[in-house]
Amino acid sequence: MNGESILERLSSGPVYAICGGVILFVAAVCVIFWVRAWKAGIAIGMDRTRMKRAVTASASFSILPSVGILLGVIALSGSLGVPWPWLRLSVIGALHYETQVAAVAAEAVGLPELSGSGMTAQAFATIALLMSVCIMWGMILSALFNRRYLNRLSGPGEKKPGQRKPGFGDAAMSAMFIGMVSAYLGSYLGEFVSGQGRFAFRGSWTPLAAAAVSAAAMAILTRLSAKKGMAWLDSFSIAASMLMGMFAAALIGK
Amino acid sequence: MEKKQEYLDQYMNRTHQLGRLASVLTLAMLLGAPFLIGAYLGAMPDLAAAARGFVSVGLVWTVSSVVEFLVYTPMLGAGGSYLAFITGNLINMKIPCAINARDMVKAKSGTRENEIISTLTIATSSLVTILVLAVGVALLTPLRPVLQSPRLAPAFANVVPALFGAMGYRYYRKNLRLAAVPLIVMSLLFIFAPGLTGSTSMMILPSGAIAIGLAWMDYRRHRKEGRA
Repeated sequence: MNGESILERLSSGPVYAICGGVILFVAAVCVIFWVRAWKAGIAIGMDRTRMKRAVTASASFSILPSVGILLGVIALSGSLGVPWPWLRLSVIGALHYETQVAAVAAEAVGLPELSGSGMTAQAFATIALLMSVCIMWGMILSALFNRRYLNRLSGPGEKKPGQRKPGFGDAAMSAMFIGMVSAYLGSYLGEFVSGQGRFAFRGSWTPLAAAAVSAAAMAILTRLSAKKGMAWLDSFSIAASMLMGMFAAALIGK
Repeated sequence: MEKKQEYLDQYMNRTHQLGRLASVLTLAMLLGAPFLIGAYLGAMPDLAAAARGFVSVGLVWTVSSVVEFLVYTPMLGAGGSYLAFITGNLINMKIPCAINARDMVKAKSGTRENEIISTLTIATSSLVTILVLAVGVALLTPLRPVLQSPRLAPAFANVVPALFGAMGYRYYRKNLRLAAVPLIVMSLLFIFAPGLTGSTSMMILPSGAIAIGLAWMDYRRHRKEGRA
């Protein structure tokens, strides 16, 4: 079986049906959780407008990264066909993870590289299995320990996670997020300064520029959205800022 | 009031039941799919090769998954974290998305509002991704040249920096002192040890620990001032 025919079979109807079925199941789970959360919000007296804002902001926020993820599907489709990368990146997968694991898996099954030309049915099945196994632990831990972990965090006197009064926890979560952003921004600076040799200043500065332009756009949009009658802008500020940052990266062109 | 609490207790119990069930079923399907596709193709996975591959790359991701579970579960609450671990793309999408929405509607971490908002945002974000990918896959032939054009390649390669730039502004602005220290420490670390850029996701832990340590000191100081 040559590379072309295996790729054709990997993008055939039955494989689409298997992968599409899993994606449909996960979409149904999301809809069930969404409807339950919405009803619960109304039942406990949450403001509908606030909930709508959260939903609108999340939807607009997710479009651009999703298009980026689609590129991951395209990148992997040349070696694994279309349905499997589509499944992986719709469910559980992560953009930065899939390519790396797929490449290592290809090496483990004896392929010189991850490509459609050398792919065999067994190599594909093994790579697909490894891609699933390597990233499943978050889901397993969540299924086993989510409840216990959240109850434990809510303290001995307050066992119900939904009831807990805000204290240091809120500050800790913001701090953790600041730590996460700092790690990434620091890595972009480190890549620029020392990426091509320590203090050579020859590394890529595009990520830094994209982050800076995006932050500047966010500053302007935050100011605008604070003005009377412009609050709606807040729901789209992250997506619009990202678009500006990405536009800057395209202009720099590396 | 009691009725509301009873409703909320039931909601949380059911969330855990549904979350566990959905996780187990998704897991079974994801592990079963390679065997099913293999059966269709006429070849089963080579388990020995899969084990070798797991040793070389899987162990790192296992550690990373444990860290992600410990760090992100409290951020997302019960419903949000079940969904996020099922749908993936945590760092580049789900976490910033939930944090942004939480901040926008001013829901405090650990409260019932946060639980609801987090679940709504993660579910919405996941559905948008599923929809965009489904449309993208359906239109793959006409879209491929546009999305893969060399002109747009740098834009899509920099989605995450653009995301963290915007989110960074929002958070740094309110916590400048808190943000400066981890940012300086991480920048110096990556400058002096550039090899660490390949393990940025693992560096979130020390960076977050520094920020949480500083936040704890601030919290203690404010409490003391409040008592005085």
